[in-house]
Amino acid sequence: MNLYQPHLVCIDQIIEETADTRTLRLSFQNPSIAAEFDFKAGQFGEYSVFGAGECTFCIASPPTRKGYLEASFKVVGKVTRAMRRLNVGDTMGFRGPYGNCFPVEEMKGKNVVFIAGGIGLAPVRCLIWNALDLRDQFNDVTIIYGARSVADLVYKRELDDWGRRSDVRLHQCVDPGGETPDWKGDVCFVPTLVEKVAPSPKDSFAVVCGPPIVITLTLPLLERIGFAPERIYTTLENRMKCGIGKCGRCNVGPVYVCKDGPVFTSAQLKSLPPEY
Amino acid sequence: MSKRRFLSKPDLGPFVLDLIGSGARVIAPVRRLERGRDFIEYRQVRDPNDIVLGGPLPVRPLKEIVFPPTETLFRWRQAKSLIEIEESPTSFEETVIVGATPCDAAALEIVDHVMGWDYKDELWFGRRQATAVLAVACTQCDESCFCTAVGLSPQSTRGADWFLTPSKEGFEIEVLTPKGELLLERHDTRCPEASGSPAARASQVADKVQANLKMQPGKIRSWLERHFEDPLWKDIALRCHGCGACAFSCPACHCFDIMDEPEGMEGGSRRRNWDACQPALFTLHGSGHNPRKDQTARFRQRIMHKFNIYPARFGEVLCSGCGRCIRVCAAGMDLIGILSEIGHRAEEAESAL
Repeated sequence: MNLYQPHLVCIDQIIEETADTRTLRLSFQNPSIAAEFDFKAGQFGEYSVFGAGECTFCIASPPTRKGYLEASFKVVGKVTRAMRRLNVGDTMGFRGPYGNCFPVEEMKGKNVVFIAGGIGLAPVRCLIWNALDLRDQFNDVTIIYGARSVADLVYKRELDDWGRRSDVRLHQCVDPGGETPDWKGDVCFVPTLVEKVAPSPKDSFAVVCGPPIVITLTLPLLERIGFAPERIYTTLENRMKCGIGKCGRCNVGPVYVCKDGPVFTSAQLKSLPPEY
Repeated sequence: MSKRRFLSKPDLGPFVLDLIGSGARVIAPVRRLERGRDFIEYRQVRDPNDIVLGGPLPVRPLKEIVFPPTETLFRWRQAKSLIEIEESPTSFEETVIVGATPCDAAALEIVDHVMGWDYKDELWFGRRQATAVLAVACTQCDESCFCTAVGLSPQSTRGADWFLTPSKEGFEIEVLTPKGELLLERHDTRCPEASGSPAARASQVADKVQANLKMQPGKIRSWLERHFEDPLWKDIALRCHGCGACAFSCPACHCFDIMDEPEGMEGGSRRRNWDACQPALFTLHGSGHNPRKDQTARFRQRIMHKFNIYPARFGEVLCSGCGRCIRVCAAGMDLIGILSEIGHRAEEAESAL
């Protein structure tokens, strides 16, 4: 079996997140792979639909929950359209885990501020649950999340859970025009909400994922608030094919996003050319 | 390790037939006349008389022998929701390349770095393992050659298991690797010990190549590191069509795509196909965002990858100076011109300090 041959996984559950976004819960068909499989928050995989091809997504479920992995995807292209046609019980392919991870061990005992926009919540959600499943090992947990509209918020049930928990501070927003009459969150863009919440940089890590505009505006904002660039983490989403540093597609300057990333600090991004 | 042997001209044919007889696939430069075009290409040979040693550079490099333009990663069969995977073999038929040019032989070793760091690409190394490279000293260059500028030469033995130096009577053989030793053991009688002093290596070819381009890869790299943004990139890239012919004809370019090819409703194959960084689709995101949004960015990437990124990662440039990218380019993109321009700028920047 060569490097590019995937493991077979079975779709156990399909969760509708929004009109165009779904989460698939997958489990390995081979019991020994299922038993051995392990990963770290922030790592990604190559998911495939046989006949349509492969696609790169982060692993959206936390490593603290064994026996399955989850992928959240928005329908945009050939593979994601094919993924949407699949049903519970269907077979997909999975290669991974690949790439580096968030510094979970360093974050322990510290405050963590999670900031996400739209489907960017997927990689952050993995880390959020990782922290919440080991809640007593982390200090304050703050989640700042926004989407285009109320309908575009992903993981709605979990947002409700987090909102109810006394040990999580959740702030949500939707873009102006995206609110509904009963929307209780803010109506603004994610960076504006970050500015308003103004999380304390003291003993804190920040994790930011989302569309390029959210990242480019939020990273400097966090630095202005006082976060050290080494304490601000984000992920790069360059197009990939192999995931293992061969196919040459994800280069940003000297960096192979698939191997040196996908997790980078704001400090690291500053040394890279803006090709992401 | 180095052992000197000799293969006489009349023995070349029987030697090749011995190789074929032992079950190996022999690939060698062969002359082709096709639709009015007269060229040399690496091809499987059955008749040793077809082999052209010491002719002009084959139009395509050896890359396709170890890294086919399209190859099956695995096949699958589907029955309703059940999928069955049929693995692709990772052992390959024994292949002997007779008459590789030094630039093509070296390129294989240059690409080994990226195929083997951390994750080892079994398909690449499986074919590498099964392939013995008998390189022959280069005796014909043209105005697009620049191997001497990237640390190689018409007599460079890099990547070769045997190195053949032509003499009046035949070829002097240097046996360079364990794989080469093994091959020699099997063909010992055809290749007696070389007598006398080593054959004189013609230096005229090297002199000619050197006149094409002189550069210091270290200086080029330090200029590239500092000039990601520079008006030069746009000036150069304006002519580029973005077709990717440079990458497809390059012995060191190794970028690929992974695609599924369905075969009916019941199965198909996942394949890896050559790809190139010049077409816009290469980095286009599903969202429509493209990190390398114009040809300037894409052409810069080509130069950066070869002369800055690869050296930073693997300690040497991703180029063997064969000059094929210059010969095939429909727009006249001239890597020699570009590198010498960057070289000038690097000198100027240095003297300004």
